[in-house]
Amino acid sequence: MRRSWFRPLAALSPRASATLWVASFVLPVALWCAVSYVPFIWHTMVRVRDPGDVSWFTPGQLVERAAFDAENANVLAHHGKLAAGRLANPVFLPAPHEVLHALVHGFLTPPARPDEPWLHQSLWHSIQVIFWGFLLSSILGVPLGILCGAVPALGRLTEPFIEFFRYLPAPAFGALAVAVMGIEDAPKVAIIFIGTFFQQVLIIANTTRRIDPALLEAAETLGASRRTLVTRVVVPGVITDIYTDMRVLLGWAWTYLIVAELIGVSSGITYFINQQAKYRAYERVFASIILIGLIGLTTDVVLASLGRQIFPWMRGARRGWFSAAIDLFRRREPEAAVVDPAVQA
Amino acid sequence: MTATLTVPDYREQAPEVAARFTRLKERPVILDVQGLTKTFTVPGRPTTLALSDVSFRVHRRELMCVIGPSGCGKSTLARLVAGLEEPNGGKMLLDGKPISGPGPDRGMVFQSYTLFPWLTVLKNVMFGLEVGKGSSATEAEEEARVWLQLVGLTKFASAYPHQLSGGMKQRVAIARALANRPRILLMDEPFGALDAQTRCQMQSYLLQIWKQVDITILFITHDLDEAVYLSDRILILDAHPGRVREVMEVPVPRPRDQDQFMTPAFIAARHHLEELIHPRSAQTADTLPMFRMTVVGDDVE
Repeated sequence: MRRSWFRPLAALSPRASATLWVASFVLPVALWCAVSYVPFIWHTMVRVRDPGDVSWFTPGQLVERAAFDAENANVLAHHGKLAAGRLANPVFLPAPHEVLHALVHGFLTPPARPDEPWLHQSLWHSIQVIFWGFLLSSILGVPLGILCGAVPALGRLTEPFIEFFRYLPAPAFGALAVAVMGIEDAPKVAIIFIGTFFQQVLIIANTTRRIDPALLEAAETLGASRRTLVTRVVVPGVITDIYTDMRVLLGWAWTYLIVAELIGVSSGITYFINQQAKYRAYERVFASIILIGLIGLTTDVVLASLGRQIFPWMRGARRGWFSAAIDLFRRREPEAAVVDPAVQA
Repeated sequence: MTATLTVPDYREQAPEVAARFTRLKERPVILDVQGLTKTFTVPGRPTTLALSDVSFRVHRRELMCVIGPSGCGKSTLARLVAGLEEPNGGKMLLDGKPISGPGPDRGMVFQSYTLFPWLTVLKNVMFGLEVGKGSSATEAEEEARVWLQLVGLTKFASAYPHQLSGGMKQRVAIARALANRPRILLMDEPFGALDAQTRCQMQSYLLQIWKQVDITILFITHDLDEAVYLSDRILILDAHPGRVREVMEVPVPRPRDQDQFMTPAFIAARHHLEELIHPRSAQTADTLPMFRMTVVGDDVE
């Protein structure tokens, strides 16, 4: 039984699957705890709490353990006051409890200066920038991608240039975007757009090409016109795969966010992180980074669950809250309700 | 198997069978194929001739099987008639009108089911009605339910294709193709992927459906029993290039059932097909150039 975990492509039992899911989070956190709390693993430095009689020590300073011990031996020899400190690791890695504290209290702590945004304001700002950038990109990119995949002539006309353009790094357009669109949110949305759009068209075009050609032939023998082939066979045939692609692409959009927010007037979660780093509040820096991860993970889990609801033909699909809601809607207005044939169960 | 078994001549027809063929040939011609030629060109390779000068006629409500060794172009023939491939020469007339491109007047059932996985069984059957015939959703649904009833899948109307067995999927595919009321139903090895038992069942379903519905069927198969069991006439093709060897009239009387497999007429027809498609001379030539890889004396025969 245990051996089958490591067989290539072996199916996992639900229990094993859940255990491994949890473990994938527990293991890194455990490693982090070990590095932070277990002294003999990676504590080559001492953080000075009380300099004592050592002239060059200051509170909060990181000192090599050897130097710290040498100075204290020196002080002891002269009957002076000993310096105090605690063992620390050599990077700015705060301990889990500090980050957790910052995470919990981050939303409640007012900003250091009155003109700075609160954490939740920063986050909300970032989410808005992502949302608009990704939405604009998808409105253009998804239909174009599907058309490029479905109509080879169009794909051939469009894709080589897009292939070229996607190698141009989106941040390189930062200065240009600011010059054209000002210093507020517009250039930031533009950077996310540039970063997402070109990848999106190519990925979705490739996904579209993976449709089973026999389905198109079957539809043709049933009398489908060219347009119907696209709207009623190609689109529903690849929509579940495109949905998965979009989840991956949304993750990419978040990576462009950090660059985008540095352009023009720095804003959003990036500004918050930079400010906290300036104040040397590294636990808040880590808390913010973790927060981005949590938002990303939550969005993805919610979208995956939503996918199983709106695409009932997918393997592993469940009838659930979404179709129940649709049913309610349809029962009330059986005539007027225009429901995607896909979701009509 | 006794080699001494005497097989009657497949051309001997009982009077009622002969009368049936006379009536069949008096019916109007649905599909008229004349001098059909198809070549495939792959860049850098010599052109292959898949079909060469193929001519035959299918009459209304006839069930014709196309059979032949692998590579004889029988699937290509079905795809040409369906309009999924362009011929290089010859004419194909459906009700006297030339065929160009795929259309709802020629239904097709593929070996790979080709049901739309995102549609329920009912919506799959409705697809052609809505898209090909332009019926409204309510009309289409009503009609689709009738077709589902015909193939005995009313209970599965709201199931998705991945929830069905292979035989059930193929019944949905047949209902979907028939719902458009095509002039001819092209079936390209439709039962090839099914297990033997399901295949037998599907063959008898098909005969029942064919009896109840005004439909002409061109059925591609490589299974000799299937061809004899289903067909009125069998179009036998040669391979490399694919050309018509013979159009054989099956002497087995209708209605057909599985018990007829052991009747002299059936055996005669089957024997004839066997000789044409797997000639005895070819079989002996196919002995493997095998070394002896067992201990001397360790014999199994």
